[in-house]
Parts: sequence; C-alpha cells; structure tokens
Amino acid sequence: MTPTLPGWLRWSWLPPGAFLLVFLVYPLAVLAVTVTSDSGGGVISTLASPTLWQVTGLAAGQAAASTVVALLVGLPLANVVSRYRFRGRAFAQALVTVPFVLPTVVVALAFRSLLGDGVPQGLVLVVMAHAYVNLAVVARIVGAQWAQHSGDYESVARTLGASRWRAFVDVTLPSLRPAIAASAAVVFVFSFTSLGIVLLLGDPTTRTLESQILRQTSVLLDFPGAAATALVQLVIVSTVLLLGAAASRRSATRRSRPPALRPLPSSVSGRAAVRITAVIGALIVLAPVAALVASSLRSSRGWTLSWWTSLGSVDAGTTRLSPPSEAITTSLAYAALTALIAAGVGGLAAIASLTSGRSRIIAVLALIPLGVSAATLGLGTLLAFGRPPMDLRATGLLIPLAHALVAVPLVIAVVAPSLRSTDTRMSAVAATLGARPTRAFWTTYGPVLRIVMVAAAALAGAVSLGEFGAATFLGRAAAPTVPVQIVRLLGRPGEQSLGVAAVLAVVLVVMTLLLVMLVDRWATPLRRTTAQENPA
Amino acid sequence: MTPSRLDLQALALGYEGRAFMRGIDLRVDASEIVAILGPSGSGKSTLLSAIAGVVPPLDGRILIDGRDVTRAPIHERDVGLIFQEPLLFPHLDVASNIAYGLRRHGQTRKAAHLRATELLEWLGLGGYERRRVNELSGGQAQRVALARALAPRPAVLCLDEPFSALDADLRQRLAVEVSAMLRESGVAAIHVTHDPTEARTVADRVIELSALGEAL
Repeated sequence: MTPTLPGWLRWSWLPPGAFLLVFLVYPLAVLAVTVTSDSGGGVISTLASPTLWQVTGLAAGQAAASTVVALLVGLPLANVVSRYRFRGRAFAQALVTVPFVLPTVVVALAFRSLLGDGVPQGLVLVVMAHAYVNLAVVARIVGAQWAQHSGDYESVARTLGASRWRAFVDVTLPSLRPAIAASAAVVFVFSFTSLGIVLLLGDPTTRTLESQILRQTSVLLDFPGAAATALVQLVIVSTVLLLGAAASRRSATRRSRPPALRPLPSSVSGRAAVRITAVIGALIVLAPVAALVASSLRSSRGWTLSWWTSLGSVDAGTTRLSPPSEAITTSLAYAALTALIAAGVGGLAAIASLTSGRSRIIAVLALIPLGVSAATLGLGTLLAFGRPPMDLRATGLLIPLAHALVAVPLVIAVVAPSLRSTDTRMSAVAATLGARPTRAFWTTYGPVLRIVMVAAAALAGAVSLGEFGAATFLGRAAAPTVPVQIVRLLGRPGEQSLGVAAVLAVVLVVMTLLLVMLVDRWATPLRRTTAQENPA
Repeated sequence: MTPSRLDLQALALGYEGRAFMRGIDLRVDASEIVAILGPSGSGKSTLLSAIAGVVPPLDGRILIDGRDVTRAPIHERDVGLIFQEPLLFPHLDVASNIAYGLRRHGQTRKAAHLRATELLEWLGLGGYERRRVNELSGGQAQRVALARALAPRPAVLCLDEPFSALDADLRQRLAVEVSAMLRESGVAAIHVTHDPTEARTVADRVIELSALGEAL
C-alpha cells in the first residue's frame, strides 16, 4: 500500500465481502445443497429427463443463430461507427448502444409491435430480437479493436496482390478474431440465458433453461429440479465464457495505438457504402422503438390517448388492487434502493482495489454475478431468504438485493478505472502540506468519487428498472415491477392490455434512457479530464 | 525509347479534395533508386500512397512501364510498399509473410515457401522460416518486410522512411545493405526520408520534394 493511503482502507473490502458472502455465496450454496440432498429423486429425474437436454439443445441452437445474426449485422456497423469520421458519427455510436440498455421486455414488446402481424411468434422473431439487443456488444467490442487496427496492413496486402475482399479475409479478419470471439461468447450467453424475450416472442421450440427454471418453480413447484437445471445452465455458461476468454487472449500481438478516425473512403461507392450502412443501422435501431411508441397511441379505431389516460385506472391493471401506474412507483423505489446498495457495495470494492494487498481480490470476486443468470440468482435468493425460517419476502428487500448483485460488477467497472487513473502524487502533495492520511485520501479521490458515484448509482438504477428475471421470482403478486407488469398484461387478451403495456414500456424506455444519459454525462467527461491531467 | 518504370505526370496531391501540391513530374528507371527529401508533414508519404494506390491523386497520371495505372486498384499496380514499421502480418510466421504476395500472384504454396526460404538466405535470415514475427528484432523485421515486398518482383518499390524506427547504428548498416539489395533486384525504388545522410547512402539520385512540383 502507498504510505499515504489511510489505514482503514485495508478493511474496505469487508462490507462488500460480507454482502457477497450472504447474498451470493450463501444462496448459491443453498441451491447446491438443494440439488445434492434431494432424496426424492427430483434432481436425478431432471438430469435424466430428455426434456432438459432437449431444451438445452434448442436453446443452444437458438443462441448460435442469434450470435451469427448479431455478428452479420454488427460487424458492418462496427466498421462504420468505429473507424470513419463523418457527421453524426457520435450520434450513430450512441444509437447503436440504445438496444443494449433497453429492458429485454421492452425490446420484446417493440418487436411484437413492429412485426407482430408479419412474423409469427417463434424462433425467427426471438433470434431477431436477440440480435437487436446484442448489436452494441458486437459493435462496441469489435469496433474498439477495429479502430486500433492499422489500415496499412491491408494496404501492404493489396500491394502484394490481394483484392479488397482477400485483404479483409487474410489480414483484417485474423486481427479481429479475438474481439469477434469475445463478443460472440457474450452474445451467445445472453441469448442462451434469455428470459423476457423468450417468454414474449417465443413458442415451445424456443424455450431456454432460464424459462424452464421459471416453469419448474412457478408451475410445477419442483425446486430440486429447478436447482438442477440452474446448475446445468451455470456449467454451460461458465464453459462458453471461459472459451471466449481463452480465444480472445490468443491474439498474436497486442500493440495498442491511439485509435485515429479516418476520412470516408475516396471512392464514390465506398462513401455510399459507409453512409448506407450508417442509415440502415439507424433504421434498424429506431424502427422497433418507433413501433412501440405508435402502439401506445393506437387502437383499432385509430389514434388515441386512452391507453395513456387509463394508466391510473385500477381496471387497466392486473392486480385488481392498484392501477398500472403503481408499478412505476414500485420500480422507481426498487431502483433507488438498488442504486444505494450497489453504489455502496461496489464503491467500497472499487476503493479496495486501490490497495496493494489481498483485499483487492474483492473487486474481482464481485464480478461473479455477471456469470450467474438472473433466474439462478433469483431462485437461489428465493430458496435462501424466501421461506421460513428466514422469509424476507414481505420486507420488499429481496428484489433490490438481487438487483444490487447484478449491478455491483457494473458499478465497479465504472468507479475503479476512474479511481485508478487519478494521480496518486496528489495525496503525497496533500500529505506534505500537513494532511493526515484520511484527509489526503479525500483530497485526492473525493472529487472523483463524488462525480463517479452518481454515474454508478444511475447505472445501477437503470439495471434495476429493466431487470425481469429476478423480479419475477422475488416479486410480490400485489406489487409487480414495470417489466413484470408488462409481461402480465401481455398474457391477458384484449386491446387495452396491449396498449397499456406499450405505454408502460415507453415510460420504461424514457426512464432508462434518462438514467443512461446521466451516466454518460457524469462518467465520460470525468475520464477525459483525468486522462488529460495524467498523460502517463 | 523504352518507357521508364515509373512515370509521374503533373500529379496533384491533397486531402479530402484540397490540394497541397501539384504539377509533380518524376521518372524513375529500372534498378534506379531515387531518394526524396523533405521535412515531416510535407506530403512525402502521401506521394508514396498515391503511387501505390492507397489514396487517389487529385489530378495527373501515374504510368508504370508505360501503362496508365492512375485509377487501377492497388493489387493490380505492381507496386510494393514499405512503411516505417514493418507491419508484418502478426498471425503468420516469417516464411508465410514473405510467401503471401507470391500466393496472391498464383504460385503454389510449395513454390512460394521455397522462394521465401531463398529470400531469407539472401537476407542472412536463413532458418527463420517458422519464427513468429513478434520474435524478430526491429532490424530483422524490417528485412523480412523488404523480402515480402520484393518477393512478387514488383516494378516499383515505395519505401516510406523504412529505417526511422531503428537506432542510428543499425539504420546506417541497413541502409547500405538495402541499397545493394534493391539494385540487385532491378526494381525502381523511391525512398522517402528526412535524413540527408541516409538519402545519399541509399540513392542514386536525391531530390527535394519541393523541387518535384509546386507546393500550395
């Protein structure tokens, strides 16, 4: 540890460590014990049942198809958005990210609004929606590598006789392979563990293990079976993520150069190709959202505001107790609580990563929830804290706690780099001026923390607003979150249900985008200024 | 009269439609090495990029062996290109890097690798065939880049400050070595540098960029 850091920093890993132990390790342990101690044979029969492996096969096929489509659409977008300088590029880049931050339930409803009449529910619709959500994964991960890749390599290959396509296949593609592998693994896992999209757009052929777990717990009440399914999913997901990580490490050289945007291609056809790709990309992103807004304003009799006005009516809801607008209040309350918990836990873990001791491991351990699916987390939490002797369901804390687990890795990802890029010489200067270690710490990191913690909390709030899997498991029937309310409304026949669901989805989009813009506004300029101050 | 290997006629260069130099005339014959001198940022690299076809000239003509290649795609020009950095393909070994152009010109894998081995011997890098390119030193990597560029026997070779990333001692040694190799290969070479000593070591003719045309 740097001598100027205060001594208490050595213990900053304790609160996040305790949180992870209680709310991640313990529930997963309960899950594992449920599997192993089951004497009724539910586990064995689940593992031996052809249904499990049939669903696994279907989900893997669906995820593979989603990955291929996301790559086919995402790679041209990555090329255009990350490499060329043109007017509106920053906007295009932000636009590509939009589908990723939209709640999956909203995406599903938007696709239903856009294509509901043309494309029947099933594999095609599910694959399209998954590819849509994951465009940003491909465009961002591959784009970052593509921007680093010097175009001179292609020029050399071309002078050696390679055609444009040949140079792309021989030179560009191999250098992008690690990024493509990494993004493919992430897209596969997202699609393999998808729940909201599969429930709303799928048919029996598109079930995932995640939807299977939900069915086993809520319809069949087969907890050991669900736990076994969750473990199978955990094994597959970890394997894919490890394979992806291994493939992405196998890059031949790792020369990092500052990405420089290049001018548009000089040929007319090249320019046109870039522009057309950008426009098509924008249309792909915006069309489902526009369709969603339209269906919130439309009935069979024409344009209407009645879905919006019925938001406050109890009859329009699904609980018979409160109007749909109540779900917005519920979601906002959960989001606020999640933001508080995740920012506290994640912030301390990020601070712990400043120290040189073993305590920095906590920042790595806190990333584990990323690899555990929402339904697995939800189920584990339910088994651990949702039944006697420790029933926390009535406290309303289970959902924020589960959401915080999902959000903590993201909080660390926002906070830790900002803290680490802060010039540590500042605390030495403060100390030479007479500041005690704690004072010197706040002088150095306080300004950064004040800004970056707002961004991190906003991000955690956005995650909570859109989360569906864990909320389904842990929610109380009388107080659904917005995504849960949307799914329930869609399960009910009638034009009004669809219209009100669309209204809720639009509200969710607006709230999520506002929070994400807050993150962008607060987190990005900070990184820029710290980078300028510390050229090293 | 046989045409020059390379003939630039009234070439105009620029970025995004704005010219910074025009009226560039230059002829280079087979086995001749021309060094072009100029401060950094003066447009030397753009000139080479235009000859290779990486950027289009705003005006004028580029002839190679009498053939107008001004609008020809890069891979059909018969021009080799060497940058400051060797830019060896990181996923291919040394021999496969050298064989790359030969394969694109229709040689079999065996023939291409045989030629690569010969070239490596010629460069004093015999036995390096299977090496990964990131195991090479700066000088070795630049030699391999030279072999890769010369392997398909281009009519013209453009060298864009190829030694500037190397230390002074090695730069001088490699300059002498490369100059001899270029003469032996019969290629028409344009060597761009901001170092007058290096220019005189390498080239038969040294020209200031500003003397080639009119700077705007």
